[in-house]
Amino acid sequence: MSKLLIALLLCATPLAYAHETALTKVAVQTDLPTMERGADTLMNNCHSCHSLKYIKYRDLMKLGISKQKVDGWRGELGLDTPLLAQMSESDALQSFGTAPPDLSLMTKARDGGPDYVYSYLLGYYLNASGVPGNHIFPETKMPDPLGVSGTSDPAQLNSIKDQARDIVSFLNWAADPQQSARLRLGYYVIGYLLLLTFLLYLVKNQIWSRLD
Amino acid sequence: MPARIMKWIDHRFPLTNFVKHELTGYPTPRNLSYWWNFGFLAGFVLVLQIATGIFLAMHYKADIALSFDSIQHIMRDVNYGWLLRYMHATGASAFFFVIFVHMARTLYYGSYRAPRELLWWTGQGLLLLLMATAFMGYLLPWGQMSFWGATVITNLFRATPFFGDQVVVWLRGDYTVGDATLTRFFALHYLFPFIICAAVVIHLVALHTVKSSNPSGIDLAAKDNIPFHPYFTAKDLYGLGWFLIIYCIFVFFLPDSLIEPANNIPANPMQTPNHIVPEWYFLPFYAILRSVPDLVGGVLAMGLSVMMFAFMPILDRSRIPGGAHYRPFYRWQFFLFIIDMLVLGYVGYTPPTDSTLLLGQVATLCYFGSFFIIPFVSRMEERWLIKRGLPPAVIELMAGEAAAIERHKQSHEQRKGARL
Repeated sequence: MSKLLIALLLCATPLAYAHETALTKVAVQTDLPTMERGADTLMNNCHSCHSLKYIKYRDLMKLGISKQKVDGWRGELGLDTPLLAQMSESDALQSFGTAPPDLSLMTKARDGGPDYVYSYLLGYYLNASGVPGNHIFPETKMPDPLGVSGTSDPAQLNSIKDQARDIVSFLNWAADPQQSARLRLGYYVIGYLLLLTFLLYLVKNQIWSRLD
Repeated sequence: MPARIMKWIDHRFPLTNFVKHELTGYPTPRNLSYWWNFGFLAGFVLVLQIATGIFLAMHYKADIALSFDSIQHIMRDVNYGWLLRYMHATGASAFFFVIFVHMARTLYYGSYRAPRELLWWTGQGLLLLLMATAFMGYLLPWGQMSFWGATVITNLFRATPFFGDQVVVWLRGDYTVGDATLTRFFALHYLFPFIICAAVVIHLVALHTVKSSNPSGIDLAAKDNIPFHPYFTAKDLYGLGWFLIIYCIFVFFLPDSLIEPANNIPANPMQTPNHIVPEWYFLPFYAILRSVPDLVGGVLAMGLSVMMFAFMPILDRSRIPGGAHYRPFYRWQFFLFIIDMLVLGYVGYTPPTDSTLLLGQVATLCYFGSFFIIPFVSRMEERWLIKRGLPPAVIELMAGEAAAIERHKQSHEQRKGARL
């Protein structure tokens, strides 16, 4: 009985990541240099159209990015300003026909999470007549941001893949800045609970031994 | 001094008596297995949900323009807000998991049988309250799945005869799920847990009247009962330890596995998600809803599927004592039913195709069928068991218990006689 019931709970988990198109797995990094490179690429290539409204400039400094760099990005804006897109939503609507989505929760908001974003960024191609498309999200209005569709040189392709991984790593942090604190606390909590449960087991045995 | 205080209190309020009657002297069968821990665990999760929920409500804004942002505020800016929110979100799943095991145990061991019918029915009421509370709570983050889930489910009330459309508007407070819906769901989501608490008290009063059933399924003599405290408080706490370990693995390491990705997109009434799925604990019932092509029929089938459990004391006609241990046919039926629930859960999760639709319809028939054949199976099983002879273990157990109860009665009467 127990196995069946536990299976009921667990079967919901892997299914949640099922996706029609096969996604490329990405090794999300949590070290500062990778995330900082990702932030750099994002601020230069994506931020003109996409906002990260749940991230403030101060959060970037908390992540460990130097004040100089953050100051360069924010210009006159205050530290507690959210990272809103440079382009207004109405301008974006006019140019692309759709409002570019906010990126704060992007790695959590799609089936497949970070793998989806990574595969999407690398999913651009040119068809036989030279019209660009995207394998993962065919309806996308965004032009190929990293230039992957026009590249055939393996070295250049690898550097684009690294860039995509860096962006995804940064976005993964942006979606859940408390993740590292959560994992750290989690190990202590589980350790404590294992000890507590062991002690409770001894207490229970001690008390029940009175019966025999 | 403490003795004098206790005396002062007991003169005015039956405190000592209450503790003695319900805790230190409350007779509990000594053979209860760990499957009997889950009632206590459900009570624990209820307290956990109320405690985290009250603190979340201090930071949450029930306003369609603010609620999605306020959740992110909780997740990012409130000290340990992420912990509160993940505990609460995971807690909802934990609550249903614990309740489902609690119900499965009752079904397996036949704990719903006389004299525990009212206990089982109060539990059925608690299940409905829990489902309503969870459903309303799911709207509050105002994500895509929140919005569309609430839209689909409130829309089902169109099936009400004569004034279905008006009922839907009355429930939503608007023609579509909107701000009015969000604020009322928040108010009721805050209210319902306290109604659940009151219903739990009723459930416990019923329990303490008829006492716990036990794995043998036979009423035990006094000699086989032990006081709840300290024996079962210790056992429940040890079980709680294991529960917390599994719960905290989800809270700290897998919290997003229980949250649909689409719910991280703010609600957008103009854009329907490709595939609207409820939370995992509603999937089997959702699959039954979808298996019936007609709206009214589907709603009736879904409502009935939740309520079928209440009919168990009436459907189970067997006079064979004991739980599924001693009832081979019923035991098979139980496990097949669990498998059927898993199949329905799978069907509810996947996007509808011709094959899953057929699978869902077959599983739905099996679901209701397994209830409807119980009267016949239990009768047949009874005849089969009587013809072949009851399992020796159950005969021995019954004889032993009957003798012990008889001895107890005699000594009781002797004492009564001596007093007279």
